Amino acid sequence: MEIRNTHFISLLDCLFLCSFIFKFHHFYFLVLFHFEMAPLSLFSILVPFLLCITPTLSTNSEGNALHALRSRLIDPTNVLQSWDPSLVNPCTWFHVTCDDSNNHVIRLDLGNSNISGTLGPELGELKHLQYLELYRNEIGGKIPKELGNLKNLVSMDLYENRLEGEIPESLAKLKSLRFLRLNNNKLTGSIPRQLTGLSNLKVFDVSDNNLCGTIPVDGPFATFPMKSFENNRLNGPELKGLVPYDFGC
Amino acid sequence: MGSIQMSHLMLLLAVLSAGFAVTHADNASDSFWLLRVKSEIIDPARVLENWTPRAHICSWNGLTCSDDQSHILGLNLSGSGLSGSLSQEIGHLSSLETLDMSSNFLTGSIPSELGKLQNLRILLLYTNSLCGKIPAEIGLLKNLQVLRIGDNMLTGEITSSIGNLRELRVLGLSYCQFNGSIPIEIGNLKHLTSLDLQNNSLSGLIPEEIHGCEGLENFAASNNQLQGNIPSSVGLLKSLQVLNLANNSLSGSIPIALSRLSNLKYLNLLGNKLSGEIPSELNQLIQLEKLDLSENNISGAISLLNTRLRNLEALVLSDNALTGSIPSNFCLRNSTLQQLLLAGNMLSGEFPLELLNCSSLQQLDLSNNKFEGELPFLLDKLENLKDLLLNNNSFIGALPPEIGNMSNLENLFLFDNMITGGIPVEIGKLQRLSVIYLYDNQMSGHIPRGLTNCTSLTEIDFFGNHFTGSIPATIGKLKNLVLLQLRQNYLSGPIPPSLGYCKRLQILALADNRLSGSLPPTFRFLSGLSKITLYNNSFQGPLPNSLFLLKNLKIINFSNNRFNGTIFPLSGSNALTALDLTNNSFSGPIPARLAMSRNLERVRLAQNHLTGTIPFIFGQLIELKFLDLSFNNLSGGLPSQLSSCEKLEHLLLNNNQFKGTMPPWLGSFQELGELDISSNYFFGTVPVELGNCSRLLKLCLHSNTLSGEIPPEIGNLTSLNVLTLQRNNLSGSIPSTIQKCKKLYELRFSENFLTGSIPSDLEGLTELQVILDLSKNLFSGEIPSSLGNLVKLERLNLSYNKLQGEIPPTLGKLTSLHMLNLSNNHLQGHIPSIFSGFPLSSFLGNDKLCGPPLVTCSGSMGQGKKHLSNTEVAGIIVVIVSTSTVVCLIMLYIMFRIWCHWRDQVSISSADGVVGTEKKRGEGKWVYGDEKSRNGDYWKVNSMVLVSSQDKPAKSTTTCVFHLKTDSEDMEADTCSKVT
Repeated sequence: MEIRNTHFISLLDCLFLCSFIFKFHHFYFLVLFHFEMAPLSLFSILVPFLLCITPTLSTNSEGNALHALRSRLIDPTNVLQSWDPSLVNPCTWFHVTCDDSNNHVIRLDLGNSNISGTLGPELGELKHLQYLELYRNEIGGKIPKELGNLKNLVSMDLYENRLEGEIPESLAKLKSLRFLRLNNNKLTGSIPRQLTGLSNLKVFDVSDNNLCGTIPVDGPFATFPMKSFENNRLNGPELKGLVPYDFGC
Repeated sequence: MGSIQMSHLMLLLAVLSAGFAVTHADNASDSFWLLRVKSEIIDPARVLENWTPRAHICSWNGLTCSDDQSHILGLNLSGSGLSGSLSQEIGHLSSLETLDMSSNFLTGSIPSELGKLQNLRILLLYTNSLCGKIPAEIGLLKNLQVLRIGDNMLTGEITSSIGNLRELRVLGLSYCQFNGSIPIEIGNLKHLTSLDLQNNSLSGLIPEEIHGCEGLENFAASNNQLQGNIPSSVGLLKSLQVLNLANNSLSGSIPIALSRLSNLKYLNLLGNKLSGEIPSELNQLIQLEKLDLSENNISGAISLLNTRLRNLEALVLSDNALTGSIPSNFCLRNSTLQQLLLAGNMLSGEFPLELLNCSSLQQLDLSNNKFEGELPFLLDKLENLKDLLLNNNSFIGALPPEIGNMSNLENLFLFDNMITGGIPVEIGKLQRLSVIYLYDNQMSGHIPRGLTNCTSLTEIDFFGNHFTGSIPATIGKLKNLVLLQLRQNYLSGPIPPSLGYCKRLQILALADNRLSGSLPPTFRFLSGLSKITLYNNSFQGPLPNSLFLLKNLKIINFSNNRFNGTIFPLSGSNALTALDLTNNSFSGPIPARLAMSRNLERVRLAQNHLTGTIPFIFGQLIELKFLDLSFNNLSGGLPSQLSSCEKLEHLLLNNNQFKGTMPPWLGSFQELGELDISSNYFFGTVPVELGNCSRLLKLCLHSNTLSGEIPPEIGNLTSLNVLTLQRNNLSGSIPSTIQKCKKLYELRFSENFLTGSIPSDLEGLTELQVILDLSKNLFSGEIPSSLGNLVKLERLNLSYNKLQGEIPPTLGKLTSLHMLNLSNNHLQGHIPSIFSGFPLSSFLGNDKLCGPPLVTCSGSMGQGKKHLSNTEVAGIIVVIVSTSTVVCLIMLYIMFRIWCHWRDQVSISSADGVVGTEKKRGEGKWVYGDEKSRNGDYWKVNSMVLVSSQDKPAKSTTTCVFHLKTDSEDMEADTCSKVT
């Protein structure tokens, strides 16, 4: 930046200039505070509105949600490189699958992709998601309770990550869920009893975590093999009326 | 060295001998040294032209002499276009009091010899390209009052010797690359009034000693990396009028001591890491005119009051963590406040009515807060307001009609609120309105025609509301319009032809509406148009040819409309980067002219009626990433020139009539993630080079007539998620390398002529999930027990092969399975009990298989008996009973004949024959001869149970119609009817 001042000498002839950028929702505009010290009254705010270069489409909620996810993830092998938020929808992003008829995201395939970081509440925006495949990565943090909003979810594969905290009770809202694989993480707390209401649940694997309490026996839990609960601090099947389900937690 | 001094001497002698004896000896030496200085300066504007020994030194440009012309006092060559360097000989001009070389292009370093100029009072070297450090000798200039050397490329630390300049008034060191910390010796400069250190790389603390600069009026150190607290001693600088510490890394709270700066007019602390609350003591700064504390972590409520800070003109507190509401006594009726910027905090409450008293306000920014409630009717009391930014809050209710009285309004930002109701017609009175952003609200009603009276409008964004009706026919009055964004509303009707007269329009976004009609030919005037998005409407008709004249188009998206005719008019621009015409009724060829847009990245022409071939000239589109031509009537082969499109990521050519072999150069696309050439007429082998596309995620080659073996190189595609090779003529066995494709979740090999056994290596594909379909091939041998490792698999189809042996019990580990088809093989033995829940159709057509859901295994299980369900058993019983009856009748008849024969003839002849029952299972036949059924509507299986007797063959035909979902090809028998 070149500042020229041809005033010869005056105690107040230094030129001050500072600029900063306000970031707005869908465009940036540059606010230039450009004022001269001598007549302090001159304080003009120029607001040149830069035309929206890529107006992000705020109702592209699925694309926004995925892009928010991207910002939380560390992606050393650039598997998320194609996730360009300026596109109308995320359907042409790699690792994202939409249904052909109405362009809703139905699959997210990021298994075995060397990603770390955390998951966020925005994942709950993917209302049409059926397959959430994030297995075998190094994702940490908690399982967002907002995943319970994924009403169409069939399969949630978060196994072999570094997830911690409790299994959110909200997952009991996933009435379409058939496969819930959370094994090999660092999950704690008890198995939420509300999950026994998932009548479609066919596979439930929480082995190799740090869960406590007892194993539910109702609903689909009557059929899951003990292998699905191994390597935890679980106290065997629930003995209703005898000990509380979170005994030992 | 010697020769240089000799030449100096020669020059001196020459000057002396030139007969200027009258001039003072000082002048003579000054002119000598000045000519030395000149000799190192490049002077393209010839400013120094009259610096010759012939002219008197006092007449030389830029020189000021003493009254008696006895010695030079000043040298001012500011802004003279000089380059070159500043000679060290300048140090010999010992009488100089003022040296101004500012605003030139001087390079090199500041000569340390300047330290010899003991009379120097003013030294101005700012705005040059000087580099190096400040010479420590500068501290020898005891009489220096003004030192301004900023806007250079000076580096290093600020020399502490600067503290020796006891007479210094002005120190300007801004816009250089100084590092290190501010020297504490700066506190020695008692007379300093102005200290400018902006835009360097200074770090460390602001020295406590700064309070020694008793006379300081201006202190600016913005845009450095200063750390630590703001020292309270700054509060001792009683004369301070300007304090600018913006954009540093200062932390801690704002010192209360600042409230003692009773002369302070300007305080800027933006962009630091300051925390804590704003001290209410700052209200004592009654001279304050500008206060900017934005972009810090300041919390608490706003304690500053315009009623106390009566001279305040600008208050900027944006992007902090301020809470609460705006204080009720914030504004005076005669407030001078012009800018109030509070954006990006957590301020709450209703629109602060108190603000309506700030009648001088020109800018009000409350955006990105938690304000709620309705907008006040009296908003128009802010009659001077130019910018009203209320976006990203939770305002509800309608836009008050009084807004029409805010005649100075230029920018109206209300986006991302919950505003309802319509746009008041009064808005048409806003002659200065330039930008109106109402997007992401719930506004409804028509767009008032009056809006088109706001002829200063440059940007309109109504995206994501519920506006109905049509676009005002008078929109063409908005001659300054640059952006028209009406996406995602319920607008209907055609585009008014007058829109073509908005000649400055650059972005036109009308997508996601119910607009219809065809594009008006007046669009030809939109020569500045760069982006036009009309997708998801009901536009129709051919495109006006004049669109070809729009040479600046970069982005076109017309997808999901009913446009027809040729797409040639969209090929006029050489600036195109993205063209999406998916799902229209365009016909004719793909215009080769598109290849003139060398920056084209995305071409999506799928789901039209395009004919002809892919223009070979598309090979010039070296930026092309996305090429989707699927679902058209395109034909011909793939032009080899396409191999130049090395950045291709998606290549979708499926469902056309492309013909020819799969070219090996497909393997050269290193970025390719998706390749779909399915449902065409490609033949020949799958090129081994495909194995080089290591980023492939999806490879769809199905429904062609590819032959030969599956190349083992397929195993190099380690990222592959989806591989579909079904419905080809592939032969040979599955290469064991397939196990390396560990990320496969969908694998289809069905309807080929694949032989050999199912490789047990498939067990490595542990992420297989959607389907493993090997049906309708010639696979033999046993089902590998290792398939039981595919624990995520949801569908497994091995039907119509020649598989033998028993179903391995390990398949019981497939706990995710919900579709299993093992029918029509040669399997035998018990069906593992875990599969008893699968339907009969999963196992039909295996001669020697038994157990639920088939018939219970008998003792002679697996010895050629057909195992059937109860209904079939019942049927068989009926057949057996009926045939037994027939047999009995025949026996009776025979006995009767024998008896007759015996009765008639004494001799006994042999019987006619033995009649028994025999069950035979007909080979299932696939009905996929015609193209229609190949494309996946349905196929039929006829399985016959022949019950024959010598005399009366009875034929019972079971017809199962398997409905194929075209996408998933989920094979589940829906109806099985028995026709007898």
